Amino acid sequence: MTWWHRLFHRRQHEEQLEKELRHHLDQHTSDLMVQGYSPEEARRQARLGLGGPEQVKEMCRDARGTRWLEEFLQDLRFGVRMLLKNPGFTLVVVATLALGIGANTAIFGLVDALLLRPLPAVKAPAELVLLMRGDGGGPTISYPDFTVLRERNEVLSDLALYTQAPISFGNNVRSEVVLGGVVSANYFDVLGITPTLGRTFLPEEDRTPGGHSVVVLSHSFWQSRFNSDRTLVGKTIVLNNRQFTIVGIAPPGFDGETPPMKVSMWVPVMMMSTMRWEPQSATHDPLSDRHNENFGAVGRLKQGVSVIEAQAALETINRQLEQTDPTPPERSLNPNNDRSLRLISPQGIMIGSIREMAVTSSRLAGATVLTVLLIACANVANLLMARAARRRKEVAVRLAMGATRWRLIRQLLTESVLLALAGATAGLFLAYWINQLLMAFKPPFPPPFTFTLDLSFDIRTFAFTFLLAVVTGVIFGLVPALQASRPDVLPALKDESNAESPRVRWLNLRNALVVTQVALSLALLISTGLFLRTLRYARQIDLGFKPDQVLAASFNLRLQGYDEAKGREFYGQILERLERLPGVQTVSMSNLLPLGFMWLSTPVVPENREVPPNERVFAGDVSVGSKYFETIGTPLLRGRDFTMQDTIKSSPVAIVSEKLAHSLWPEINDPGEALGKRLRVGRSNPISCEVIGVAKDARNNIFNRLDREPESTIYRPFMQNYSALASLIVRTDGDPRSLTSAVRREVAALDENLPPQNLQPLAETVSLASWSARTGAAVLGVFGLLGLVLAAIGIYGVMSYSVSRRTREIGLRMALGAETRDVIKLIVKQGLGLTLIGALIGLMLAIAVTRLLASLLYGVTATDPTTFAGVVLFVIGVAVLACYLPARRATKVDPMKALRCE
Amino acid sequence: MKPKSDLPQGTLDLLILKVVALGPIHGYAIAQRLEQVSRGVVQVPQGSLYPALHRLENRGLLVADWKVTETGREAKFYRVTRKGQTQLETEAAGWQRLTQAVSLILKMSEGGAG
Repeated sequence: MTWWHRLFHRRQHEEQLEKELRHHLDQHTSDLMVQGYSPEEARRQARLGLGGPEQVKEMCRDARGTRWLEEFLQDLRFGVRMLLKNPGFTLVVVATLALGIGANTAIFGLVDALLLRPLPAVKAPAELVLLMRGDGGGPTISYPDFTVLRERNEVLSDLALYTQAPISFGNNVRSEVVLGGVVSANYFDVLGITPTLGRTFLPEEDRTPGGHSVVVLSHSFWQSRFNSDRTLVGKTIVLNNRQFTIVGIAPPGFDGETPPMKVSMWVPVMMMSTMRWEPQSATHDPLSDRHNENFGAVGRLKQGVSVIEAQAALETINRQLEQTDPTPPERSLNPNNDRSLRLISPQGIMIGSIREMAVTSSRLAGATVLTVLLIACANVANLLMARAARRRKEVAVRLAMGATRWRLIRQLLTESVLLALAGATAGLFLAYWINQLLMAFKPPFPPPFTFTLDLSFDIRTFAFTFLLAVVTGVIFGLVPALQASRPDVLPALKDESNAESPRVRWLNLRNALVVTQVALSLALLISTGLFLRTLRYARQIDLGFKPDQVLAASFNLRLQGYDEAKGREFYGQILERLERLPGVQTVSMSNLLPLGFMWLSTPVVPENREVPPNERVFAGDVSVGSKYFETIGTPLLRGRDFTMQDTIKSSPVAIVSEKLAHSLWPEINDPGEALGKRLRVGRSNPISCEVIGVAKDARNNIFNRLDREPESTIYRPFMQNYSALASLIVRTDGDPRSLTSAVRREVAALDENLPPQNLQPLAETVSLASWSARTGAAVLGVFGLLGLVLAAIGIYGVMSYSVSRRTREIGLRMALGAETRDVIKLIVKQGLGLTLIGALIGLMLAIAVTRLLASLLYGVTATDPTTFAGVVLFVIGVAVLACYLPARRATKVDPMKALRCE
Repeated sequence: MKPKSDLPQGTLDLLILKVVALGPIHGYAIAQRLEQVSRGVVQVPQGSLYPALHRLENRGLLVADWKVTETGREAKFYRVTRKGQTQLETEAAGWQRLTQAVSLILKMSEGGAG
């Protein structure tokens, strides 16, 4: 018989025990009667012989060894009964906890998906390591270094190479740009991935540059674009204007080694020349240039080799490589020029800077939701204590009947954990909903960068939530249980409902909880306020250009195999076509979109002046079509715009930004004086240009922050400075979206296989720049308000409780002539005192915390006095309201009744 | 009333095992048998008999079935399991050694005095 068997046959056992003892008594009685006792006497003797039957039973139950479980079930049943008896109380507590736990579950799900979950479909992910350079930002190594590391190391069973590139995919119906993986042939083998159909790459597909036009498609791409066609393997598709044979389909779930960026297909690294998309590094062949560090590498550790050993071994090889051929600092992608190699485990988001961003935001979000949970816990603890006050008599009776204190605490804790579990269950639903909401805040990366996160709950989420519920239940239940289980039995039994000493003690503890709540929600709200101020600042900021009503579409003609002549022809024709569309005001083009993903900068020097290299001015190098300034909305301060006459045959001209004009020629007073001056632009073969115009400064540099000072910019005519990668910009009469399909149609009319990339309103591209502030404000705002609501309920609860306890005193005061006003003042003063203490602590907390946010804020300091003062006043206002309601109730007390009630 | 001695600690389990090993038997009969066999010297506290039985059952040394007695009533009959048998033998042997040793010591001190 196992213990659970015994447990679940408890009733049967009880019956048998009863029967067994009765049999004993009956037998004994009849034996005694045979000996000559009277029936009554015999029965009495038999009972005496056995001892009290209830005590014997109790000892037998103990002997069975399942007592703790039985008691636990007893507690559980009792707990459920108690909770069902007070549905209002239960509902409030469960709802409060659901908010707190649900918020935590949601954020855990997010962190899990972003940072913790191992790559899907990968074999033994624990053995995988990623190579990182220095503090780990983005790509790591060059192809030549990779081959050396792969051959010479003795710590990895194999090492694979990967990078990503936008690939233009044409299927003759509608072409599009997708994100593709460019990988060494052993990539799938190192990751241990078995294809769903066909094969992955063969070792010989790692040999001839340009010679292996084969492709493996991702499962989801195969599903969505080819309708899961099982006969697809062996057929060809057109990628970057070249035929590729589909050799295999990857297993479901695997979308590349860097989720949440989704890779749709993979080609061998030998096809790199077809996959090149960067406009600038044409001279640096990625397959032979040792300083072209555009690749990441993933290796599998040999059995029994630790990450640290492997890192040391690889670093030795790396150092030898660096010594023989040092990387020039300007070609190092690492900002600190740290050349050491590091190994990390691939989990969730792997690439350095994104991972760091995710880690920072996760910490912030985690701290926020944990604070909300703490506030919720404080609230529930408060409610439990109020209820414990009402249950004093029950507890006293049980103590008097001989229950141990530990037994009582266990009973009370069972109840609170039960509450927490109910809250967690409701919280799971809430978390699901919160996550749906959070996905609306995903960074608006333009295609082909699709940001996908699988936020579905897995076993880890459930385990986390369960654990959190149990811990929460113990945390908020323990103090009330300790308090409740030691009432002074006598006064409680005598129904002295306002025995003085315990009330004072409880109230102090409850006060402390209110103070904590006020402090925590104040800190949260101040953080929210700072983000809101940042957002307001972002809206007021003068960008120097007007993104509204502008539609943009980018092209990479290189991917489509266009040479320069064909590219010029295309851009000329498409501008003409778009200009004629109804609803279009002006059309132009540029190689760089303001606040977009790319920024190129180049040295600019005044002609006829020697400038030492370290004093050279760097300026954004923007190639624009004519009418660019009109279209983008940047005013031209002096001089003229580029025209169709500024061609490759005419003399080179340039327009400089106001800032560039002043830094090149510090002596000028008016930007107009720069007109006619000459400058030289470019790194290796500087071109001499004449300045024909000066434009207003614009914040058009890279996307990440809006508050950067506008960078010096030099604009050159597109016709004199061709770029295969360029964007069309269209200023429209109204909603730029309405022209999307027309633009697509016009492009298809010129080349039906040429896909426009990130065809979207410019305002959307720009919105990426304020993404972190918007998300921060939204997330913190929601949770901050949640915290405040909970804190307000807490204050209200404590004040109500206090008022109900002081009914007699208030009645007395009013009988003695106190005015309504005096009574309200009395109550509010008490609540306000608590609030002020809480606010003071919260202020100090906020000062400590907001410094950590500084990197996400702009236009406002981390200790912005307006925000701080505003939030403090707001919190105090809410607190006064929460005190006022019970206070007003107190004044309704009928003095006579109050005095008589004792 | 005859003077009765209390049971030394831990011996109740051993005695119960021994009695039950003689054949299936119910609780009341065990109490009776112990008292008879010890000729009334050993007073079995009936209050601790049943917890002891349940403890031994719990440890897997005894099993029980419900059977009809000769008087036509249902009673819980205990049997010794194989594990209980082994336990009985070990403990009995241990007890033998202990009592021999104790009596040896007692005799020796008597001899010393005489």
